[in-house]
Amino acid sequence: MTDRNRKGQRRPARVVREEMARERRRKRTLWTSVGAVIVLIIAGLIGWGVSASQDSGDFTPPGGANPEGTGIVLGSGPVNVDVYEDFICPICRTFEQQAGGTLDQLVAQNKVRVTYHPVAFLNRFSSTEYSTRSSAASGCAAQSGKFRDYAKALFDRQPPEGSAGLSDDQLVEVATSIGLAGDSFRNCVRKNTFEKWTEHVTDEAARAGVTGTPTVLVAGKQVQASAEAITAAVAAAGG
Amino acid sequence: MTVTERTTASTPAPGGSRWPAVRPWLGTAARLGLAAVWLTAGGSKVGDLAASGRAVNAYKIFPYDLAVVIGAALPFVELALGLILLVGLATRLAAGISAGLLVIFIAGIASAWARGLAIDCGCFGSGGDLAAGQDPTYGTEVLRDLGFLVLAGFLLRWPRTPLSVDAALGRPPEAPEEEEESDD
Repeated sequence: MTDRNRKGQRRPARVVREEMARERRRKRTLWTSVGAVIVLIIAGLIGWGVSASQDSGDFTPPGGANPEGTGIVLGSGPVNVDVYEDFICPICRTFEQQAGGTLDQLVAQNKVRVTYHPVAFLNRFSSTEYSTRSSAASGCAAQSGKFRDYAKALFDRQPPEGSAGLSDDQLVEVATSIGLAGDSFRNCVRKNTFEKWTEHVTDEAARAGVTGTPTVLVAGKQVQASAEAITAAVAAAGG
Repeated sequence: MTVTERTTASTPAPGGSRWPAVRPWLGTAARLGLAAVWLTAGGSKVGDLAASGRAVNAYKIFPYDLAVVIGAALPFVELALGLILLVGLATRLAAGISAGLLVIFIAGIASAWARGLAIDCGCFGSGGDLAAGQDPTYGTEVLRDLGFLVLAGFLLRWPRTPLSVDAALGRPPEAPEEEEESDD
């Protein structure tokens, strides 16, 4: 206290200086905060803009697609079955081996109408967006009425998660191995003919609440992805 | 000059504790750590915005179209927040926003847990349904986010850290002198 009193004459100037310094700090804080908030808002808007520009927009569904263009239809039975698969998903492969034949049988018996949705959920599991490329290639096969055969062949040659996946040439090879014409298939794959369609299939699957693969719906209701559960649900739905 | 003298005069370590000397550098570590968290989180999602949208959608909290927008904006906001913390601009505000985001994430995970969903939180890429037979790791995810929340809390309390834009500009944001004195 005594110290302050002795310096009493200098005090007002110091108080003013301190107030000015405080005011400067306050302004600096305000402006850095405003700057940070603007940066964050702009970042968010960029994300929104980028995603809006990636909208699937105009797509051409391949032959055999349902009217909504969200999948490939097989059979015309009374009970609707929806199957969501990703060609790199290991459990989809297991599902295909375990229940694929049952589904084919139900289609052959005209009990069900199966819609296959080849979604590209797992692009992060390959270095070449194999999920998208394989799904688009399955569209090329659907164009020639061979979706199902091609899908099975793709699961047979499924690349491991984390790999580069099959190359475009290998995708064509798989097509010729099931009797598709190599040249037109190669063209279809090279031109990314059905890439937009794949995006559409994937977006609409997510919109429908599908969050993983394989997902199986019987008459619109999710059932366990197994031959037994599907057969039971189809029977219960009157198929 | 007088101001500087007075401030430094009032900050010698009480009781010879090393805390005042160590604390600012702990703050820098917390700031860089939190920056790394956001940069990793944003970087792992920014390459596939559609997947990020699906990860948000998997929580089944927002309608699909809103989930897609959130999923697309979030990675960029996380990256920006990471950069802001990295350079140390408006540290207290950035720490506050970080804490807010983390609380929202924890609430989201807890809600998925409570509703019995079996999803990956999608915190660092991936997300969506878990494969059959795979158990969710909600507990770990929440604990991890709580750990990040501690970093954010430290910076909220002591936003002044060396090697930051704030320090270069002079004083820390929103840290009035009185509080600085009470800190020590």
